[in-house]
Amino acid sequence: MHGVWVIFKREMRQYFTSPIAYLVAFALLFMAGMVFMIDLRQRNGVAPADGTMILGFFAFIMIFLAPLLTMRLMAEESREGTIELLLTMPIRDAEIVLGKFLGAWAYYSLLLLSTIVYQIVMLTFSTPDIGAVIAAYIGIWLYGGSVIAVGMLFSALTENQIIAGFLSMAVLFLLWLADSVGALFDNIGVEAARFVRALSLRAHHSTSFLLGIFRLEDVFFYVGLMAVMLFITTQIVAARRWRG
Amino acid sequence: MIEVRHLTKKYGSFTAVDDISFTAQPGEILGFLGPNGAGKTTTMRVLTGYMPPTSGVVRVAGWDIFEESLDARRHIGYLPETVPLYPDMTVRGYVDFVADLRRVPKRRARVDEVLARVGMTERANSLIRNISKGMRQRVGLAQALVHDPEVLILDEPTIGLDPHQVIEVRQLVRELGQDRTLMFSTHILSEAEQVCDRVLIIEGGRIVAEGSPQTLRDRLQRGGRVYLRLEQTPPQGDVIAALEATGGVEAAAPEGDGYLIQLARGTDARGDIVETMLAHGWRVIELRPWAMTLEEIFLELTTAELAAPLRSGGRPKKPKKKAAKRRSKR
Repeated sequence: MHGVWVIFKREMRQYFTSPIAYLVAFALLFMAGMVFMIDLRQRNGVAPADGTMILGFFAFIMIFLAPLLTMRLMAEESREGTIELLLTMPIRDAEIVLGKFLGAWAYYSLLLLSTIVYQIVMLTFSTPDIGAVIAAYIGIWLYGGSVIAVGMLFSALTENQIIAGFLSMAVLFLLWLADSVGALFDNIGVEAARFVRALSLRAHHSTSFLLGIFRLEDVFFYVGLMAVMLFITTQIVAARRWRG
Repeated sequence: MIEVRHLTKKYGSFTAVDDISFTAQPGEILGFLGPNGAGKTTTMRVLTGYMPPTSGVVRVAGWDIFEESLDARRHIGYLPETVPLYPDMTVRGYVDFVADLRRVPKRRARVDEVLARVGMTERANSLIRNISKGMRQRVGLAQALVHDPEVLILDEPTIGLDPHQVIEVRQLVRELGQDRTLMFSTHILSEAEQVCDRVLIIEGGRIVAEGSPQTLRDRLQRGGRVYLRLEQTPPQGDVIAALEATGGVEAAAPEGDGYLIQLARGTDARGDIVETMLAHGWRVIELRPWAMTLEEIFLELTTAELAAPLRSGGRPKKPKKKAAKRRSKR
């Protein structure tokens, strides 16, 4: 597992020297700030302030921003030929994948933590349910891991970062909406529709974590999605060796 | 050491490396010589554990590269053809990253040591994107050396360097090869001649010849060749006719300012040649053995009709379409 740690450290350094990571952070904080302010205005005197609203927005916008962070993970190594270095080091393929994944997830976590600013603002004029807010943070954190794992899979599939990023966005968007998409499968069968609905990225937090409900099945869903995506990514990396 | 037995690597239906076998001993510099696309890089990628062989066995430092890949990789230093660098890292940061991955003990000191060895101490804190091609090559070497590997595999280490840098890298390769197994590939024949203890010539995925640069040259010196230059410049036809009439001369042809003479096997007609020339009133100002360069050896070996008797393995070479095509063109 030493390899995971070394790869992780390099990835983290990369995020703090890469312009795209700063752009993503800037775009995210800018938009989140706007949304927060608009939301407060609309609720003023109408509805109680809601600390988890900003997290719902954060989760949604990540469908588009996370692929910008993940698209380079494996694709860049293939394009630059540095994958040849990594694959001839005395470390397992899974260590490379895991190290990179954890690096990206750690950066995501920092972005997520930066939204605590809004919770602090909220505390100054309102009395939010701290427990519910914490549950929401845990949920969005787990959700982020699975979004990044999906993006990483597409990054391993192609040398082209743009294609990797675009495919990740498209697939994440479909998965996000899967609870609605599932309705299209009603004609095929109730079971098929249920299955597609169960894949929804948003339904596993919008109906639970964001309401302060901590459901084990949602934890399993996100952790399971991560595990499956990382496993497939590792297989793709291993398969590259055979293709040459 | 490196042990390769019956290694074959196919990409789909294309056979890049076709049943090659060889060994390389510690303290030996093994040159891997062949034109582009001969299978050099593929072989090295299999040797370093980057890709598995289709069939055959590869053992590096005593470990099977497929079955015990991580152990084998621990003992290999590898410089791929495209130097795998991260442009956003500093020279030191990059070498340190590799040293860390390889769990090199006393990392800081070792990284400094290896940077000094390749002459990059002064640029240690430069970003890799800002250093020259020659320096990048040296950083790549530093990366391959950082764990003091038993086996060092360098894929075209001098490609794209200016002549001065080429000399430096060759010097470094010679030094490094003294106490470990070193294998390096090149398509420059004079380079293999200068640097290697032993040369493998590969073409079309097969080893077409093997031996020290000296033996390879000797084996091709059939009857021997000599080079002749005259003080006067008589008509070339006359000289060639006179030469070919001399006993022990098989053939003669113009070459540069003089003539290249093929002697019959087991004869030394040099004395007779001088006499003949003098008899025609032409004075000999140069007469010397004509050593074939590896360039010529290479050309001869890679045409099928000559390659067959020279093959070390003794297995007859299958006639190849490519060679046949070349022959029909002549």
